[in-house]
Amino acid sequence: MDKMKLIFDYDDNITGHVPSESIDLDLPKHLMRSDLPLPNVNEVDVVRHYTDLSRKNFGIDIGIYPLGSCTMKYNPKVNENLARLKGFSQLHPMVPASFSQGTLELIWKLQQHLKEITGMDEITLQPAAGSQCELLGLMMAKKYFKDKNEERKKVIIPDYSHGTNPATSSMCKFQTVTVQSDTRGNIPLNKFREVLDSDVAVVMITNPNTLGLFEENLSEISDLARSNGTLLYCDGANMNALLGIGKPEEQGFDMVHLNLHKTFSTPHGGGGPGGGALCVRSFLADYLPVPRIVKESDEKFSMDYDKKKSVGKVHSFYGNFGMLLRAYSYIMSWGSNISRVSKNALLNANYLQSLLSDVFEQPYNRKCAHEFVLSSKNLGAKSAMNIAKRIMDYGLHPPTIYFPLIVEEALMIEPTETESKESLDNFASVLKKISAELVKDPDFIKKSPHTTKLGRLDEVKAAREPNLRWLPKFKV
Amino acid sequence: MSEIQFTKEHEWILMKDNIGLVGITDFAQKQLGDIVSVELPSVGNEFKQNDAMAIIDSVKASSDIYCPIDGKVVAVNEELLQSPELINKSPFDSGWIVKLEPSDTSQLENLMAEEEYKKFVGED
Amino acid sequence: MDYVPITSKDQKEMLAKIGINSIDDLVDDVKPRCGELNLPSPMSEMELVQHVTALSEKNKIPRYFVGGGSYNHYSPAVIGHMVLRGEFLTAYTPYQPEVSQGTLQSIYEFQSYICLLTGMDVSNASLYDGASALAEAVLLSSSHLRRNRVFVSKGLNPKYLQVLKTYCEGAEIEISDKIDEETACVIAQYPDFFGNIEDLQTLADEAKKAGALFVTCITELTSLAILKPPANFGSDIVVGEGQSLGIPMSYGGPYLGFIAVKQDLLKKLPGRIAGLTTDDRGNEGFVLTFRAREQDIRRERATSNITTNQALLALSATIYLAAMGRDGLIDVAKASYKQAHILHEKLKEVGFEPLNDKPFYNEFVVKTPKPPEEILSSLLKKNILGGINLGENKLLVCCTENNSAQDIEDYVSAVNG
Repeated sequence: MDKMKLIFDYDDNITGHVPSESIDLDLPKHLMRSDLPLPNVNEVDVVRHYTDLSRKNFGIDIGIYPLGSCTMKYNPKVNENLARLKGFSQLHPMVPASFSQGTLELIWKLQQHLKEITGMDEITLQPAAGSQCELLGLMMAKKYFKDKNEERKKVIIPDYSHGTNPATSSMCKFQTVTVQSDTRGNIPLNKFREVLDSDVAVVMITNPNTLGLFEENLSEISDLARSNGTLLYCDGANMNALLGIGKPEEQGFDMVHLNLHKTFSTPHGGGGPGGGALCVRSFLADYLPVPRIVKESDEKFSMDYDKKKSVGKVHSFYGNFGMLLRAYSYIMSWGSNISRVSKNALLNANYLQSLLSDVFEQPYNRKCAHEFVLSSKNLGAKSAMNIAKRIMDYGLHPPTIYFPLIVEEALMIEPTETESKESLDNFASVLKKISAELVKDPDFIKKSPHTTKLGRLDEVKAAREPNLRWLPKFKV
Repeated sequence: MSEIQFTKEHEWILMKDNIGLVGITDFAQKQLGDIVSVELPSVGNEFKQNDAMAIIDSVKASSDIYCPIDGKVVAVNEELLQSPELINKSPFDSGWIVKLEPSDTSQLENLMAEEEYKKFVGED
Repeated sequence: MDYVPITSKDQKEMLAKIGINSIDDLVDDVKPRCGELNLPSPMSEMELVQHVTALSEKNKIPRYFVGGGSYNHYSPAVIGHMVLRGEFLTAYTPYQPEVSQGTLQSIYEFQSYICLLTGMDVSNASLYDGASALAEAVLLSSSHLRRNRVFVSKGLNPKYLQVLKTYCEGAEIEISDKIDEETACVIAQYPDFFGNIEDLQTLADEAKKAGALFVTCITELTSLAILKPPANFGSDIVVGEGQSLGIPMSYGGPYLGFIAVKQDLLKKLPGRIAGLTTDDRGNEGFVLTFRAREQDIRRERATSNITTNQALLALSATIYLAAMGRDGLIDVAKASYKQAHILHEKLKEVGFEPLNDKPFYNEFVVKTPKPPEEILSSLLKKNILGGINLGENKLLVCCTENNSAQDIEDYVSAVNG
C-alpha cells in the first residue's frame, strides 16, 4: 500500500517549540508565538520531492487536454522568459509613475488590442479571473441602474450557462431567471420575450455557448434587450472561436469579459492564476474600477483615480500584471494574423466531431464552433465517467464530463488550435476503442483506470472523513 | 394517529401532536447518492409551502429541500451536521430533517398519500 | 513561431472529412463578421523578445523601503525552477485526481502550512489576493449568521478597505462603526497597516459578546514566523496575502490570497479544498472535496462565484516554506524586524518622529522633519524608494531581510541633508 510522503515527513524533529529567547527581539512575550511546527528540509530533498510530485501530473506539455470551455492551448515558453525580466517582476506596485512607464505602457497597449478584438470602447484589466469580471460587470450594472433611478432585480441566464453566471447574480443579490434553450441550442425568442420584463437588469449570454454553438438569435435578442433597457453581458470564455471573426460589440453586447488564461494562452498552473479583462461600451465606462491606466501624451502613461462613478476596486492593486504581460506577448506574436488561431480552433473541433459522430450521440445537429458536446448515453448510465477514467489508461486526459447540465452523459470536447492532426486522429481512435470496450467488457471499464499509479479515489470518504491538512504528532 | 404524506419533490411529512416531522424519501436519498453535508434552517425560521428550506449536498450534486406546508421551524436534526449519512441510512427515522409547526394544516390535503407517492415514483 | 501544427495538406484532408470546401464555411453562423483587425504585424520570437525587453527597460528598479501590502523578500532559486516544470505549469484544475496528484498534494501541503502558521483548523486552496479574501470572509460571515453588517477596525490597509466597500455595495452589506447584534464579523489587520502589533484579544472578546465572527487579516505573512498565531486570540476566520512567501512583486499581481477557519466553518469555505482519501486499491491519494459548495454545482445557491485559485502561486509559497524551513523563515522574520528597527532608530536621530504607539514588526510610521514629498524625492535621486506618503507629514517605511546595512546608511544620509 502506497503511503503519501508529505513535505512534513522529511523532518523527524518537528518539535515546533521555539523558545522565545532564541528569537532575541525586543517584543513583549505575550505577542510572540512559542512554537512553529514547520519542517526544516534540505534543498536536495525539496527538489526531489516537488519533482516527484510534478511527475504525478498531466499537463498540456505532455499531451492533448481537451477540456471544453477551458481552452487548454499550448503555453508559449518565450512568455515565461519575458515574465521573468527583472524590470517587470521586481517592480513594486507603489513605485512612482516615472519608474513604471514600461509596465504602464504594456498595460495600456494590451487594453488597446483587447478593445480592438472585442470592438468595445473601454476596458479594465483589474479582475483576477473571468468570474471576478462577471462580479464586476453585475456590480457596474447595479450602480448604472441605481443612477438611473431604476430598481431592476432580475438577471436572465440560459440553462446551459457556466455556474459562475447564476452564482455571481446571487452575490449581487439579483434574482436569477433561467430560460430553457431549444433543440438547436439557441435561446428561443418566444421564451425570451416571456421573461424579459422591466425588472430585468442584465441578460448574460455565452457566445458561442457551452454547447459549442453560435447563438443564432443573437441579433433579435440584442434588439429586444436594448428596447427593454436591459444590458447584454457576454461571458467571453469561448472567445477562442471569434478572434478576428466576430466582435461582441458588433453582436450587440454592452459588456464582455475575456479569460486571459483561456483564449490568450497564459498557463493554467494547476488551477490559477488567471487574468480577466472586462470590456464595455462607453456609457458604462465611468463605472469601471480605479485606477484607469491612461495615456497622457505620446511617451507618458499614468493612473487616473479621479472617477467619481467608479464602483471602486476588486483587486488590492491593479490586477494580475504577470498574466497581462503573457497575454500581451501572445497577441503581439500573432498580431494581425490572430484570426488564424480561431479558424484553426474551429477546424480542429469540427474535424474531431466528424470523427466521433458515429460513435456517440450528437445532441445538436449543427456545425460546432471551437468545441462540441457529445452524449455517451447510448453506452449506458455513468458511461461518461467510465470513458473518462479509461482514457487515462491510454496516457491521455479526459474531456469535460457532465457539463453542460442539459445534456445527459455529456462529454464536452475542445481540442484547441494547437493540436496536430495526428493528435486529433489518435484521440478519436482511443475514444472509439473505449466505446467498443465498454460494450464488450463493461466491468473492466467500470473499474478503470488500471494503469495509472492510483485507481478511482473515494470521494465519499474524502467528504465524510475529512482530512484536509497535516497535523503535527505532538500537541501544539 | 396520522399518516405519512409526500410531496412531488420527494419530501415526507408526518403530523404528531400538531407538529410535522419532515424528511426526504428513500427514493430521494438514492437519487442523491452519498450525502456528505446538510445545511439546515434555524429554529424560528418561517417558510411557505414550496420554499427552499434546507440544502443537501452529495459528492457531486447539491439539492434544495422544499417546505411541504406553510409553517415555522421548531426543531432541526443537529445530528445531521456531524452525520449527514443518516439520511441515506434511515431517511424516515433518524434521518429526519426538521420539525414544523404548521400554520395551515389544510394544505396537507394537497399532498400525496403513501400509495399515490409509490405510484408517482413508479414503485408498484 | 507558429503554434498551429496543421499543415495545408492536413487542412485539405480535414475539410474533406468534415464535408465542406473551406474553413470559411465554419463561420457562416457568425453574424456580423468583423473586418480585418487593426493589430500590429505578427512578430517573430526574436522580435517579440526585443520589443518586450525594451519595454521592461523603461522601468526603473529602486532599492525598496516600501511595503503597504507588497513586500520585497528574497525568493530562493529553487522555486522558479520547480514551477516552470510543464507538469505543474500547464496543468488544469485537478478535477481528474488520478492524473493530478502533483497539484493536489501541493495544495494539501499549502493548506497545511497555512493552518500551521495561523493556528487555524482548516484552510482552502487559496483565493485571488488578500483583499478579495477579506471580502470572501465577509460574505461567509454574513451568510452564516444571516446578518448584514461588518465592523472594520482602523488599521486596515486602505486598498483592502476599498475592495471591501466595492464587494459590500454589491452584496448589500453595511460597513458600520458599531459592534452590535447585527454585526456579522469584526475585522482587524495584524500587524496593522501602520505596522502596529496589537493584542487583539479584547476586540475578539467584543465580537464574541455580540455573537459576531472575529476575522484577522494578514498582509505580511512572514510576521507569523514570530508573532502569536491569530487562532490563539480567538479568530474565527483568518485571511490575508501570501505574496511575502517568495512571490515576485510583479507590479501588484498575480498574488496569493488565503482563508483559514475553525472546524465548524469548514463547509462554508469558498473555493477549492484538497483532501486525503484512499483509492480502490487501498493507496492514499488526494481529491478536491466538498465540491458541492462550489459555483458549478450550487449555481445560484452558491455563496461565492469563485473559480480560479492561485494554484501555481500556492505551489510557489509551499516550496518557499519548504526551502526556507522553520529556521529560515524565522531568520527572515528576525532580519526584517531588525533592519526595520535599526532604520527606525537612525531616523529618530535625524529628526524623524516615531508614531507607532505599539510594538511593530517590519513596517513603521514616522513624522517627517520636511514634507514627505521632499524626503521621498531626495531618496529617489539615490534610486531609493523610501516609503509611502500617508499625508499629514507621515511616512510609512518598511524593511526586509533584503535591505542591507549599506542600504540603511544610504537612506539615512540621503535624508539627513
